[in-house]
Amino acid sequence: MTTASRLKTRKRINWAPYLLILPSLLYLALFFAWPMVQGLILAVREEGALLTLRSEADLNSPVAGQLARGTEVGILNQQGNPIPADALGQNNLITEVWFRVRGQDTEGQSIEGWAPERRIRVRESDANGKPVSGSVRSVISSTADPLTKVYAEADEGSEVVGQLEARTAVEILDQSTLEVWFQVNGQNGNETVEGWVPSRYLNVLSDGTQARIEEGDTSQFTTRYLQRMANDRFFWPALRTTLLLIILIIPAQFVLAIIMALVIQADLKGSGIFLYIFAIALGASDLAVGIVWYSIFTQLGYLNSILQGLGLIDAPLTYLSADTRYWILVAIWLAEMWRATAIVMVIVVAGMQAISREVLEAAEVFGATLWQRVRYIILPLLRPSLQVALILRTILAFQVFGVVIVLSGGDVVTVLANETYRQYYELRNFNVAAAYASFILLLSMITAFFYLRAVRTQEEVAE
Amino acid sequence: MTTAVEAPKSPVQVSPEVKAIHRRMLRRQRLTRALTYLVGILISLWVLIPILFIASMALTTPAEVRSYPKGILPFIPFSFETMEFFLNSRGILPGLRNSVVVAIITLILSTLIAAPAGYALSRFIFRGRDVFRLSILAVRAFPIVILSIPLAVVFIRTGIYDSVYSLALMHTALALPTTILVLSSVFSSIPYELEEAAMVFGCSPAQAFRHVVLPLVMPGIAASAIFTFVLSWNEVFAATILTIQNRTLPAQVLVTLNQSSEPYQFAGGFFMMIPALIFIFFIRRYLFNMWGQISK
Repeated sequence: MTTASRLKTRKRINWAPYLLILPSLLYLALFFAWPMVQGLILAVREEGALLTLRSEADLNSPVAGQLARGTEVGILNQQGNPIPADALGQNNLITEVWFRVRGQDTEGQSIEGWAPERRIRVRESDANGKPVSGSVRSVISSTADPLTKVYAEADEGSEVVGQLEARTAVEILDQSTLEVWFQVNGQNGNETVEGWVPSRYLNVLSDGTQARIEEGDTSQFTTRYLQRMANDRFFWPALRTTLLLIILIIPAQFVLAIIMALVIQADLKGSGIFLYIFAIALGASDLAVGIVWYSIFTQLGYLNSILQGLGLIDAPLTYLSADTRYWILVAIWLAEMWRATAIVMVIVVAGMQAISREVLEAAEVFGATLWQRVRYIILPLLRPSLQVALILRTILAFQVFGVVIVLSGGDVVTVLANETYRQYYELRNFNVAAAYASFILLLSMITAFFYLRAVRTQEEVAE
Repeated sequence: MTTAVEAPKSPVQVSPEVKAIHRRMLRRQRLTRALTYLVGILISLWVLIPILFIASMALTTPAEVRSYPKGILPFIPFSFETMEFFLNSRGILPGLRNSVVVAIITLILSTLIAAPAGYALSRFIFRGRDVFRLSILAVRAFPIVILSIPLAVVFIRTGIYDSVYSLALMHTALALPTTILVLSSVFSSIPYELEEAAMVFGCSPAQAFRHVVLPLVMPGIAASAIFTFVLSWNEVFAATILTIQNRTLPAQVLVTLNQSSEPYQFAGGFFMMIPALIFIFFIRRYLFNMWGQISK
């Protein structure tokens, strides 16, 4: 890096590299780091677990307490409030309509003000359906005030402008839709909490005196989703199969990859063709590879055709069914060996290219056999490459998905990625899906940490 | 390691013992070479035979696909019927179009964003360079699975769910780390002295880059773009999670897998393999550029 050292001697900070990496940093922050954090949050935070009660029917008033989602509450009082702009589209609001009316009050004066819709009967509407005139309803109950109050604002707490007698004809000038707020009380543990809440969080029961908190406005840390994941009947089979596949696949894969790399590095004529053929699987999708091996293992597939052609069986055997779980595992093992060895091979070849030819030739001249060269020269020098390949391959193995879903149908043999997919796609359970995803992340990180540590300890021992 | 060690053609008299040793070594070398060929051919068969199977299933009649026992000789009878049946199935052509659109957006976006970063990594030493490299490597290793779920939720909330463009954004995030590392190695393979010479002769840094570096790195950039295309083309998990109506080809095949017939599945499997067969051929020389970087 002569360039770099030259630039470094110029004492000033060079901003160019920072500007150059800025776009990718921003992109990865936005579409990688942030969703990753969101995913973890999704797995451990319950949205709307708690509902905040206010001391008055106003979002800015002091907090009176909190109640958990699902709490039964008693309704003490109610009041209409203007609907905040962000809640306009919601369909779970309980609303009341107020009219701005003009009419003759009890003292014979013309007054103008707001009255709730329940006290006004609409008589006429204009072409758009907008009410233009009506009359004051009569109040039947003997205890209630027979007069209808008219308020300065669409709010029962505002100043009373006047009172209208029943059946007074009124002009309707305007109307306003309000969200009902309820004053409720409920139990939070042993403590009774009382306060005001907007209707959108409540499910009011039919008698109008009781309600249930449907949804909260505050999220809370929860282990519920993690528990649901761990108690899911597919969780342990999925984890077991994932780990089993890793143990079965990876060692065999590394042996095969190293053999492939030795063939390619052997300077044969036509090693370019070998390289191409060995690398084909690098570009093959896991879904396609699953289908390829399905065509071999399906009941009327190639394996049975060949066995029958050789006269080894009389009728086609079934491999990919619930009763032949181990055959499904064999098929997955073969498919993964076929598909994912190429990436290890490429990393190993890249590592081998860095090994000096002189060393190998010297060993050969001194009579080292191929096995001795591999064991005592190539493998030790390859260790950094193998380590990277091992981490990468193991982490990818935690995500094995396409091959499994094709060969097992997703039920008989299942893996963690498949369960994430099932929770998200079939059960529409985002939080549990996120819990699965976080679990896979955790396993990946533990693996990487474990490998790095193991290798470091080896190095220390070697020193 | 098996380069022929030629017998020294020196005028000095070589003793018979040395000659014998040479002969033994040559014989052993020939044997090793033959064995290596044999192993190479066996592994090639292991790779190629399954592809041959699926190809011969895809390029024959549906009746032949359903027949048993299957003939081991491929492509008899040769026909595009199965392939046509697959391509004319519902959702396949739109899926194909979506896949191509997603892959092309992904390769353009990731190349544009990654090229400057790759250049910075190869040409400058700056504070935080190693941290940047390491975090890129870490991103490369992170699971797609964990990224897809929260992105789906975020996309639903922001209303850009179920669109090829948002899927391309996600695929770009997946492809970006590899692209940066590959491009950095591609730039490193061009000596800085060339740029410097151009600047000595009066080019501005931008001109030097445009007229000297760019033509030289173009093949490398193309290789990395092809690799990105294949990555996006193959990606099935995120594609299935992030789309409903606008499915890509693999997502469409996956969700219809249970209700579909074998001719459909086999033709689909082969169709999805084709880009791998073609593109890996073109970029095979760059593979080590790509992955060699990772272990450095």
